[in-house]
Amino acid sequence: IKLISDAGFQGEITSISTAAQQIEVFSRILKTSVSKILHSNDDEVNKLMTETTQMICHAEHTLVYSQVLLHVLMKHNSSMKNASPLIFKRLSQEIVRTARDQNHDVTHVLMGLSGFNSSYPNETHVLSSMLSKNALNPADINALFKAYSGTKVPPPVELIRVPQFLELLIDALFKPGSKLNPEHKSKYVYLLAYASSVNGINQTELKPTINAIEKVHEICYSKGTNEINTELQGLFQCIRTPCVSMGVIRWVHSVVTEPSYFKLSTEHTPVHLALLDEIVCCHTLLHQKVFELITMLFESKQDELEILVQLEVKKMLIDRMVNLLARGHVLPVVKYIRACWGKGDTDVSLIRYFVTEVLDIISPPYSSEFVELFLPMVENDEITGGNAAGAAASSTTADSTDVVSEFIVHCRATHKY
Amino acid sequence: MANVRDSDISLWLHNKLGSSESWTSGSISSQLTPDVLRNIKECFIDLQTQVKLKLLLSFFHIPRRNLDEWKHELEEILEVAIADTEQWVAMLAEMMKSYPSSGCLNFELSDADNEDNRRIFEDLVHEVTGELKNVKDLNLLPLECHYLNKNALQSVVGTQKQPVKHFTIKRKSKSANLRAELLQKAADAVKTNTKK
Repeated sequence: IKLISDAGFQGEITSISTAAQQIEVFSRILKTSVSKILHSNDDEVNKLMTETTQMICHAEHTLVYSQVLLHVLMKHNSSMKNASPLIFKRLSQEIVRTARDQNHDVTHVLMGLSGFNSSYPNETHVLSSMLSKNALNPADINALFKAYSGTKVPPPVELIRVPQFLELLIDALFKPGSKLNPEHKSKYVYLLAYASSVNGINQTELKPTINAIEKVHEICYSKGTNEINTELQGLFQCIRTPCVSMGVIRWVHSVVTEPSYFKLSTEHTPVHLALLDEIVCCHTLLHQKVFELITMLFESKQDELEILVQLEVKKMLIDRMVNLLARGHVLPVVKYIRACWGKGDTDVSLIRYFVTEVLDIISPPYSSEFVELFLPMVENDEITGGNAAGAAASSTTADSTDVVSEFIVHCRATHKY
Repeated sequence: MANVRDSDISLWLHNKLGSSESWTSGSISSQLTPDVLRNIKECFIDLQTQVKLKLLLSFFHIPRRNLDEWKHELEEILEVAIADTEQWVAMLAEMMKSYPSSGCLNFELSDADNEDNRRIFEDLVHEVTGELKNVKDLNLLPLECHYLNKNALQSVVGTQKQPVKHFTIKRKSKSANLRAELLQKAADAVKTNTKK
C-alpha cells in the first residue's frame, strides 16, 4: 500500500479500501465495472478489464465474492444462445491471472469454483498442486496421463482445460531451453492434445493432434533454419491445429527476441515470421496474439543494425501487419498505425509504406469505420503527398498517386464527413 | 481457565492476522489443530472483522487430508460466522460453508441466512443479467479457446459470428507471394536432396 501511495495513487487506495469495507458499496462498484466491460468496445475492453481485476484483487475476500458472482452469472445465463455469458468466464480467468501476477496463490479458490473437487478429488489434487507451484512435474503429469488414457472412463476434459495448465504445457514443449525428460515427453503431448481436441466423449481428433504436436515439437527442438525451410509444407499443415500454433507462437517469440536475431538473419523475411503469417491465415482467434508479438518487435530497439537496415526490418514487419489486416484483423492494425503516426515517433516513410501497401490490395466497398481511420492518413500530404520522399518510397509513383486519389475520391463520394 | 485460553488464542490470531495487509498467505493453516479450531470457535465472535475474514480464508490452504479430518470443527466455525453481524464475514462464510466437506464453494446464495446479503447478491445477479441482454458484439472468449480444435471450440462457444467486412481484397498481399515462394523453394530443396 505504501508503494502505491508513494507512486501518487492516493485517491485509488481510499476508494478501493473504502469500497471494499462494505459489501453493499463493493457490490455496487462491481456491478458498474462489469456493466462497463459488457458495453465496451475492443479499444477500451483491456483497460477496463485491468481496472476491474485490480479492484477485485484488492483483498482475498473480494476476490472470492466476485468469483462466486461470476460463476453464478455464467450458470444463470447459460441458456443464452450467443457467447455473451462466456464473458464472465473470461473475466474470472483474468482475475486469477491478475492475482497470480501479484504473487497470490488462488488455486484452491479456482478448484472450489470448478466443482470437480468432489467428483474427481485425485485429479483435481494433482492439477492444483502443479498450478499452485506454477510448475509441471513428471509424477503429477503421469497421474493425469493415466486418468485420461486408462481404460476407465476419463474425467471430463474441462478439468484440464485450465488456461494456466495449458500455458505450462506449451512452455514445457515449445519454449527453447525447457528441460523435458524425453521419457515423459509423450505424456505432456498427450495431455495437451487431449485438452485441445476431445469433444465430449468424441476422441477422433486426438491422434492427429498428437501427431501434429510431436512433429512440430521435433522440428522446433532439433533443427536449424535450413531444415525448417525444407519442412515448411509439413509445418504449415501442422499449424492448422490451434494448439500447435500456440506452441509455434511461443517458440517464435523466444527465437525472434534473441538480441542479435535480425542481425544474423540473411533472408528479407525470416522464415519464423512467415510461420506467423501462416498462423494468421489459419486462425482468426490468434490474430491478436500474433499482432502483439509483431508490434513488440516493431517497437523494439535494434541498435545493432544500421539505420537503413532498421527501416527495412520495420517495413518487413509492416508487411506482417498488412497480412493481418488482409486476413480480417483490420481495425486494430489501422488504429495502431494511426497511433504511431499521432505520437510522431515513427519515421513517416514507414507510415507511407503501410498506406501504400494497403491501398495496393484493397478495393471498395469500404466500411465507414475503416474509412474514418484510414482516410486521414491517405489525405495527409506528409504521408502521401507528391514530394520527393513520397516518390522515392514507391517504385511506381504514377500508380500509387492514382490509387491514392482514387481512394480519396471514392470515400468523398460515398462517405460523409 | 477456558477464558484464559480464549484470550490467548484471540491474541495469537490478532498477532498473526491483524495486519493491514489485505491478503493472507495462509501460513496460519499449518498451525491449526482440532483443539485450536475448537478454541477459535469459542472466541470467534469477538475477533476483529479483518481477522475473522482472514481466518476463514486460511481454510483454503488446509491440505485436503486435514480438511477431511477437521471437517466438523471447520463447519462449526463457519456456522458461527454465517450468523455474524458483519456482512462480509457472513457472506464469505455462506460461500465457504460447503468447502470443508466437498472442496467446492457454495453458489446457492439465494438461501443465505443473512437477509441483507441475500438481497444484495440477488440484486447484483439480476442487474448484471439485465445488462447482458443488450451486449452487442463484444468478443471475449475464455482463454482456453485459443487452443481448441474447431469442433471442440464450436461445442464451447457455438457458431462464431461472421467478422465485419471492411473492404474487398483485389490483390494478394506480399505475404501471400512470399508464402508461395517459400513453398517452391522447399519443394526444390527436397527434390535436390532426393537426387543426391
